[in-house]
Amino acid sequence: MSKAPSLVARGLTRRYGGFTALKGVDITLQSGEIRGLIGSNGAGKSTCMDVLTGRGPDLIGEVQLEGVDISKLSERARRRAGLARSFQKTNIFPELTVRQQVALAARRAEFDNTEEVLSELGLMPHADRLAGDISYGDQRRVDLALTLVGRPKVLLLDEPAAGLTLEESLSLARMLRALAEQWKLTVMLVEHDMEVIFSVCDHLTVLHLGEILTEGSPEAVRSNPEVVKAYLGSTFA
Amino acid sequence: MSTPAAMAISAPTQKKTAAPLIVAAVVAAIGFALPSLGVPMTTLSLLAQASIVGVLATAVGFLVRQSGFVSFGHAAFYGGSAYLIALLAAHSKLSAEIILIAAPIIVLVAGFALAFIMLRTSGVAYSMLSLAAAQACFELMMKWRSIANGEDGLAIKLPREVFGLPLSIFQRPDSMFMVSWAVLVVIVVCLWFLSRSHFGTLTLAIKNNEERVRFLGYETLLPRAIIIALSAFIAAIGGVLFALYNGFVTPMALHWSLSGEALVIAIIGGTRAAWGPALGAFIFIFLRDIAGNNTTHWQGIVGITLIVVTVLLPNGISGALVTLWNRARGVSNV
Amino acid sequence: MIIQVLNGLVYGGMLYILSVGLVLLFGLRRVVNFAHGGLFMLGAYAGYAASMQFGFWGGVVFSVVALAVLGALLDRLVFRPLQNVDHMITVLVTYGLLLVFEDFVHTVWGADLISVRVPALLAGTIGIGDTQFPVYRLVVIAVAIAVALGLSAWLHFSRAGLYVRASSVDSLTTAMQGVDTERLSIGVVALGTALAGLSGVVAAPLIALSPSMGSSILIESFIVVVTGGLGSFVGAFIAAIVIGQVHNFGVVYLPNVSSMLPLLLMVGVLIWRPTGLARTQS
Repeated sequence: MSKAPSLVARGLTRRYGGFTALKGVDITLQSGEIRGLIGSNGAGKSTCMDVLTGRGPDLIGEVQLEGVDISKLSERARRRAGLARSFQKTNIFPELTVRQQVALAARRAEFDNTEEVLSELGLMPHADRLAGDISYGDQRRVDLALTLVGRPKVLLLDEPAAGLTLEESLSLARMLRALAEQWKLTVMLVEHDMEVIFSVCDHLTVLHLGEILTEGSPEAVRSNPEVVKAYLGSTFA
Repeated sequence: MSTPAAMAISAPTQKKTAAPLIVAAVVAAIGFALPSLGVPMTTLSLLAQASIVGVLATAVGFLVRQSGFVSFGHAAFYGGSAYLIALLAAHSKLSAEIILIAAPIIVLVAGFALAFIMLRTSGVAYSMLSLAAAQACFELMMKWRSIANGEDGLAIKLPREVFGLPLSIFQRPDSMFMVSWAVLVVIVVCLWFLSRSHFGTLTLAIKNNEERVRFLGYETLLPRAIIIALSAFIAAIGGVLFALYNGFVTPMALHWSLSGEALVIAIIGGTRAAWGPALGAFIFIFLRDIAGNNTTHWQGIVGITLIVVTVLLPNGISGALVTLWNRARGVSNV
Repeated sequence: MIIQVLNGLVYGGMLYILSVGLVLLFGLRRVVNFAHGGLFMLGAYAGYAASMQFGFWGGVVFSVVALAVLGALLDRLVFRPLQNVDHMITVLVTYGLLLVFEDFVHTVWGADLISVRVPALLAGTIGIGDTQFPVYRLVVIAVAIAVALGLSAWLHFSRAGLYVRASSVDSLTTAMQGVDTERLSIGVVALGTALAGLSGVVAAPLIALSPSMGSSILIESFIVVVTGGLGSFVGAFIAAIVIGQVHNFGVVYLPNVSSMLPLLLMVGVLIWRPTGLARTQS
């Protein structure tokens, strides 16, 4: 990993009234890596993604995408610069067909690879159905397709496997891994399911109460006593 | 006498556009043939009325379809355009043609400006605001006697010839039905093409999930304002037809009961298809005519029908027809 | 001048009683009840009908109770079944109800204007400065103040009130924290509709009864609720008082454009603060 970093963020902070949800977090994503962002509920994972992508008021912190400062850009300008995200809740367009919405997303990106994304994500059989009419698992994939299309430089995925069965989650993880390698994507993934995290991530960042608790390889994080105490305890004790 | 039936079916299956287009052309042609088929004048008068109200309902339905906003105030654009014509004809030296074209354009611009205020609120507040704003226009025309002659309204002074046609063309039911039917067909066809364009997809996406569209890299305020302005423009065109046909305008053309009626028509006809509200207008006007002869409870009937259709047929009558059509052709309903 | 201010307070007080019912409903169910003006009208007519038998005060009690029962029914038959669908559907259904209510009133009482007499006890006038002011109008102001105080005490000191306030800020979280929104809502909706009935019956001696009385006041109460900030109790109070004054000022001094004034006020507020007077960015 001697390549230049894809995304460098410094001092990401978010306050809600008197409560500080994110306390000056620094994150550096190396080009091509898949980073897992984990932590218990309220640790600041989604907030971190919000601040990175320019969602909500009062953005504090600096964000560089491949060396370009995007801290002052609006959410839509950030996406056009190559920083794409998905949302915790399924966030698609039920009244559009699957192809229509992926094509809509592609239109704003550097190039249109709608058909490629549809077939890589196994959405071809549903391409001309309304997204509101397909199964939940397929809807999650549409959500991913909206984020993935046009090959953004950095992908921020907020619990892409939420609500899926373990089997579906792992197949999603494998697909993500393959696509990231094939398209040289940099990915940051928020996920609760540790099996998914350990099967796909190169590197983990653990958030706790709005601060970074530790960073490191999955093995190192798993055996870190602090992490076990703060977060993984119940799962891995 | 339904409108270009089955137009909206084609969205998912782009290759199968031919059949709906043929049906649309046939329906349009039947409409144009009606006056020469010996249809009685009273029926033609209802048809002309239905086409004009159909334009208004199409505007309301278009707004629901492309933006999700439920307007309780579209009569303001419709009656406003008629009032503009009456006032400009009385107080300016412009030619009738220019006035008839200028009125809906002024409404378009006003609607565009208004949109930026309306868009500061949420969906439900939009309904409340549209109602309040339109009713304020009604009260204004009602009370401002020196300009608008209060509830007695204004006669619209038009020359004997408009656009090279004798004015009587626009004021006889048979010929006016042809004119307003043609306008309605053109509007519905334009909206159908719009709904299939990139702009149609984009605005539908914004309606479904505005924030996500921003995160896909799009500006979302302007497209919504354009939809609101276009809808106002269409309602204003309805107002032009109304002004030509009646030669007279009263504050009732601005009243919220007319706005509500247009909304009910759009919902009953179904807003998912561009032609749904127009179909609704023909059903509504004819049923009201029948009911008017038999009962005084028309309003209650409308209320109950609205409740039943909203709950049981969310896509209205046109939606139900599309489902039947697809089933008949063996296409699974999407 | 003081008479004008008082008249503005009468109108504002009436608007407040009606609007706060809308706020209660919005806070709990996130829906705007287009039938609310219809309930105002039903309240006025029910009070009028009952007062024939039981006198004015009997009419007031009957109207409030009848409307509370109607509200409970509405909650169970309309708002609850529709709580998980698009809010616009509920708006359309309540609009349909408004049409039905108007038809009902039209059928039972006819389209003619009906005037209701002020009860004898309150029929007099009272000297304020050098003019006489009707006692009944002062009573309307007092009723509005009593409703405001009572509601505010209930919202701040009772458990149910606490839930209502929490729910109007964030209904999902409130529900997740184990508040039984369902049990709560039947009572709150009934309270909201009872207030609509109260405002109708109290307003009856001041305005003529007609099947269209509901829709015109509905529009003003919408302006109040939007100006105050959807779901805000304090906002509705301030907005109702201000709009009462603006309305009255307009009627007296600018009759041609009086109907535009409340609207322009609202537009101004929305441009200044898109979420209304009392609503902070959520």
